[in-house]
Formats: sequence, structure tokens, C-alpha cells
Amino acid sequence: MGGTGDPGATTGPSDEPGAGAGGEGDHAAAAIADLRRARRRRRLAAFDAGEAVYRAYITFVLSGIAVWLLSGVVGDTRLGAGALGRVAADGSRVVGAVIGAGWALGARAGGRGGPLALEAADVRHVLLSPVDRAVALRSPALRQLRSTAAVAAGAGAVAGLLAWRRCGGDPAAWVAVGAAVAALAVAGGLGLAMVASGRRFGRLGGGALAVGLLAWSGADAALGTATAPATWLGQVALWPLRFRATGVAGAAVAVILAMAGVASVAGTSIEAAERRSALVGQLRFAATLRDVRTVVVLRRQLSQEQPRSQPWVRLATRNGPVRWAAWRRSLRGIARYPLVRLVRMAVLGAAAGAAGVGVWAGTTPLVLAVGACLYVAGLDAVEPLAQELDHPDRRDAAPVERGVLCLALLAPSVLLMVAVAAVGAAAAVVVVAATGGDVVLAAEVGAVVALPAAAAGVAGAAVSVLQGAPDPASALDTLLPPEGAGVRAIGRLVVPPGLAVLAALPLLVAHHPPPPATALSAAATATPLPLLGAVAAGTWVRYRDAMRAWWTSAMEEAGAARRPTTPGAAP
Amino acid sequence: MATDPPALRARGLTKRYGDLVALEPLDLAIPEGQRVVLVGHNGSGKTTLMRMAAGLLEPTAGTVEVLGEPAGSQEARAALSYLPDAPVLYDDLSVLEHVEYTCRLHEAEGWEEQAVALIHDLGLTARADDLPARFSRGLRQKTAIVLALIRPFGVLLVDEPFVGLDPSGQDTFVELMDEAADAGATVIVATHQLEYVKRVDRCIALRDGVLVYDGPPGGTDVARLVAP
Repeated sequence: MGGTGDPGATTGPSDEPGAGAGGEGDHAAAAIADLRRARRRRRLAAFDAGEAVYRAYITFVLSGIAVWLLSGVVGDTRLGAGALGRVAADGSRVVGAVIGAGWALGARAGGRGGPLALEAADVRHVLLSPVDRAVALRSPALRQLRSTAAVAAGAGAVAGLLAWRRCGGDPAAWVAVGAAVAALAVAGGLGLAMVASGRRFGRLGGGALAVGLLAWSGADAALGTATAPATWLGQVALWPLRFRATGVAGAAVAVILAMAGVASVAGTSIEAAERRSALVGQLRFAATLRDVRTVVVLRRQLSQEQPRSQPWVRLATRNGPVRWAAWRRSLRGIARYPLVRLVRMAVLGAAAGAAGVGVWAGTTPLVLAVGACLYVAGLDAVEPLAQELDHPDRRDAAPVERGVLCLALLAPSVLLMVAVAAVGAAAAVVVVAATGGDVVLAAEVGAVVALPAAAAGVAGAAVSVLQGAPDPASALDTLLPPEGAGVRAIGRLVVPPGLAVLAALPLLVAHHPPPPATALSAAATATPLPLLGAVAAGTWVRYRDAMRAWWTSAMEEAGAARRPTTPGAAP
Repeated sequence: MATDPPALRARGLTKRYGDLVALEPLDLAIPEGQRVVLVGHNGSGKTTLMRMAAGLLEPTAGTVEVLGEPAGSQEARAALSYLPDAPVLYDDLSVLEHVEYTCRLHEAEGWEEQAVALIHDLGLTARADDLPARFSRGLRQKTAIVLALIRPFGVLLVDEPFVGLDPSGQDTFVELMDEAADAGATVIVATHQLEYVKRVDRCIALRDGVLVYDGPPGGTDVARLVAP
């Protein structure tokens, strides 16, 4: 047994100056490399070529569909000389702002211990052994950089191809710069995260750096300057239109960030590594299952987003009917939302408002952005309902119909989302004012659209949370024909965010008001559409159990009627 | 005259999670070779203290040293073996492969014979080439025990070791810990099993993150100390 010898002797490495360097580091590196080789051999032994070919085929088909859909959104029409000039002049700053936002996310994640996602056993056995952590962590860091940059390069190449269709020129050049900029941007962001994590910037430091980076590239975009490294890297994306040498400096900064990140990983907090090792695996699994609720919960755990110990407002205890009890339970949950969640909801509301201005101005694809922002904000807003669903035994123990309880829990969420939509309306007014538009009209349209938008966001989120993860053994799916089960699976995926997208329809109608309607009256006329969606979702929430029971019973009866009767059996 | 540093020393060691205090400022010194039991009700701070000593948690304030080295440093990791309450093992390595990997990481010498003996003592001989991922909780715990004991160490930290072990497994593990202590290692065990308290030199009790007793095991009513 290892510990039965002289304990002083067991601390051998500590007695030698420069422990972990030289021979010992080589020895540990060899042990780790041997382990990885052995595991790779085992994986290869279990490799199923047929399965791999099938996966590649599915990926190829889905990628093709995605590119085709994106082509449809972007359109084929070549830009005119004026528009091309504007893209060449300002496009790099927009791309730079996006890269800056990505790097800001990296700094924020690094401040919280990201981005490395290690195996739990590696944390326990490798990181707790006397192996130099630089040796132990360099390889996972490089692997994460390599794989993420490769995926980003693929997406960047597609973006380059789509840009070529609108801007013209040499397609190979567009694809090459698209792939290179995306890979460099991602590598730089991951590197920055590793630096923030390894150098222990902490939550405050990482957050401050994130705000600084966001403000720097945002200022470039607003003021028309090019001072931020992210903006310089953005210039590379438009090299096929206009070559700017400062782009090289942007690329160099990204490479330096990536190298600095790999050099800093040894300082990564083991406490954060252990927490992330457990959560990231579950997060990936939940994402694979399209289990939105679990993804939301795990993501909050990953960023250590906890409810407040002390509520913002304390509600007095009161007796009353069940419906009021559910309202108060929901309000109590909302009163404990942490500041970061409230800020996130406000930012999402503002982003939805800004995207709504784009829809009103005629950029139709932005309806998806409006819907996405409201849907994600809605997922935060319906937390009291989700908590109830997370504890089904507690919920089912109450002598109340589940539908009634769920609906009552949602009412305060709608009120919260009205506040989020109001922030969106305010943001829209600011954007319209900044672009010289009609501020009064924008405020009026915002006021008309706010309530339906709030209802649509809550409706989408509530349906998503209530339907939960797909159940492979669902009785409903086993009763449906394969085509029906497929349609149902797609419906589960599309309907929740689709309900939130309905919020943008009044803005779409306001863009082309049918004569003699004005933009305001057209928007007002279209508000019943998202409200109808919300009412339909509310009806589903209220009568879901009854509808499911009726449907299952009907399908079983139909199945029994189709089944051949056994000869000799009683009729 | 320079004296040897204690096996474990905590100075003002504190852990907070937001406004929740898991461990109030703690001062503690455990000399080399001592057998110590750590008791306290659930949530009293035992595991927090152990995980900080193992370097898995970072103190909010204060320091903890292992044989004079900061917890979590390369030297401290070489000296301290930590057996957590929940075994964490690779899904794709057999028991023997786990042992080999651990011994190589810790540069253990002549481990092969010891491994055979240890695996035999814990009743894992027939399962040595199997994947622990397919084991029961108890067998996984036994595998984790093998890994904790096969490597060189001067300090053995054990958290709730008897959970999931059958009676013979518990007896064997107690004997193995005694062997380690007889050979000079410091053994610190956190447990709710009050029978084990009789076998140690010193009892440390925590309640709600505060040290409430530190002395010989016979000097207090341990059952009262661990009551919530």
C-alpha cells in the first residue's frame, strides 16, 4: 500500500527543487498520453462505420437544407454600387462589433471559470495528482480550441458563400476570409476566456473586461472609427471588397490571445473545473435531447445564478382561494430573481425592440430575432411555473386541477414580460430617434405592441417548459403512424419559438399598411394575431391533460377497431 | 530548532457561498501520524473542510497547509490522498487500468504486487479487468479505496468511507486505514459511524461550520455532538 511506507518519503516531489519540471513533467505527460492513446484505441474498437456514415449523411443533408434556407433569407440580388460602397465602408465595424460581443462573452465566461470542460475523473485523478497542471491542461485546451475553431471555420465559410452571392467577386476569396475570420474570432474568444480563467480575473474582473470590450467595439461601430482589435479583425472579413492592412493586426491579436490562453490554463481554478465537469456533460446531453428546461437550469448552475436569499419585496402571508395562492407563489419566486437575470431580461427586451425597428423598416428576417429574444426572456419569466413542473409530486399533491394551477402561475409572468416589452419599446424609440425617424409614432406603435409581445413570449416559453423533453416511449407517438410522429416532433421543436415570433407580425403589417390605414392603425389591427396565439397556448395549458386523455383514448379505440378479431373469439 | 510542520494546519480557514457560511474561521493543527475522526451533523462543514484540504475548494479566507505546503500545490497533492464520499471513475478504464494510471501519475514504485494484494483484500480480484462503470455503488467505492491507498501519501483524507460498503468491506477498510496509520501516515476520517470514533486518537466536531469540540474521543458525548 502506498501510504504504508515512510510518509516523508511519499512527498518526494516536494523535496526536489523545481518539482514538476523536466523529467517528472515528461513522466506525467507520458502517463497522460498513454492513457489517451489507450482510450482512443478502445473507442476505435467500438467504432461503428455504418453509424458514422449515417451521421455524416444526416449532417450533410441538414447542412444543405440550412444553407438553402439561409440563401433564401439573404436573397440572390446583387447589391448596387452604392450599397456595396456602404458595406465596404461600414461592414467591417458591424462584423467587428459582433466579434467584440463574442470576445466579451469569452471574458465573462473566463471570469466564471470557463471555458475548459474536463471529465470529472480527470479532475479527480489527474488534477489532484502531483502532475504539473500546465502539462495536464494544455492538451484539453488545444483540443477545445482546435475543434471549436474548425466548426466556426465551417460556419464562416458558409457565411462567406452567402456574402459572395450578394456582393459578387471571387467566391473562393469570400469563403476563405469567412472561414479564417470565424476561426480566428472563436480562437481569440476562447483564448481570452482561458486567460481570464487562468489568471483568476474573477466574476467582477471578467465582467468588467467584457463590458470594456463590448463598449470599445460598440464605440467603433457608432463613431465610424477602427480602434478596437475586434474591428480590425472585422476588416479581414471584407477584404474581398476592400483590403485594409490593419486587418493583419486584428488577426495577430486573435492568435496572440489564443496562445496566451493556452499558456495560462495551468492557473485554472480546480473548484470551477470540478463544477463545470459535472454540468457541461449534462448540458450537452440535455441539448442533444432538446430538453430546453434542463438546458436553462444547467446553464444557470454553470454561471452560479442563484435566487436571492432576501427577496426584492417581501409579500405578507394571506389566506385565500387556490388561484390567489398560486399567484402569490409565482410573485414570491419572481421577487427572488437575481439582478443578473433581471438585467438579462431587460437586455433581451431591448434587443427585441431594436430588431423590431428593423422589421418595421423592412428587414423581414429580423422577425426571427424578435421572436428569439422574447422566447428566451419568456423562459426566464416563466420560472415559477417551471419550478412547479420540476417538482411534480408536490404539484400533483395539491387538490387542484393541474391546468388551473399552471395558468394561475403564469399570470405574474405575463406582468413581468410586459415590463420587458416596455424596455423593448423604449429601446425601439431610442433607435428610431438615433436614425432620425418619427419618435412619436415609434412610441405609439411600441405601446400598442407591448402587451401582445409579452403574451406571445410567455406563451412560447410556457409551451416549451410544459411539453418538457421528448419522451421516446411516449404512448401518443407509439399510437401515431411514423409520419405523424415525425410531424409531431417537428411541431414540438418549432411551435414554442413560433408563438413568440407571432409578436413581430404587427410590425410586419405596419411596414406595408394597406391603404388607407396608417402604420399605427395597421399595427393595432394585427395585434389580435399574437394575442390569439397566446390564448390558444393558454387554452392548451388549461385543458392539456383532458385533451391528452381524450386523444389517447380515441387512438386506442381506433387501434382496437383496426385489429383483426381472433377466430372463435366472442364478438 | 526547526520542528516538522503538522500534517494539516488551518489558519482562519473560512468558506462562504454568498451569504451562506459553510465554515466559520477555523484554526487547527494535526500533527503527523495522528488518527483523527471528524464528526458533525449533515451540513456541519466536514466535507467543506476536507475538500479545501484536498485543494478541490478554494478558501474564501484563511489558509490550509499539508505538511507545510499550501493545499492544492503540487507538493501537497503529492503528499495527500483524498477519498471522496462519491467515487469518481473513468467509464472506459478497468480497475487495473485505473490503478496503473494512478500509480504512474504519482510515480509509485513497485506498485504491481501491492495492487494485487489490495485488490484481493477488497474482494475485487475477479473484477480487476472489468469496467467500474458497470459496478454497483459498493464495488465502485472499493475501487476508489484501492486508488486512494495504492499511491504514495503522507496524509489520508477519507470522507464518509463506509457508505455503500458491505460489513466485510467496512472491516477490511478499517484495517487498511489502521495499517496506513501504523506505518506513520496521518489518517483523517469524516464519518457518522460512531463505532469508528473509538479507534482514533482525536475527535474534532463541527456544528454549523463552527468547531465545537477538539480533543480525545472519550472526552465528550459524541452522539450529542453529531445530533442536528
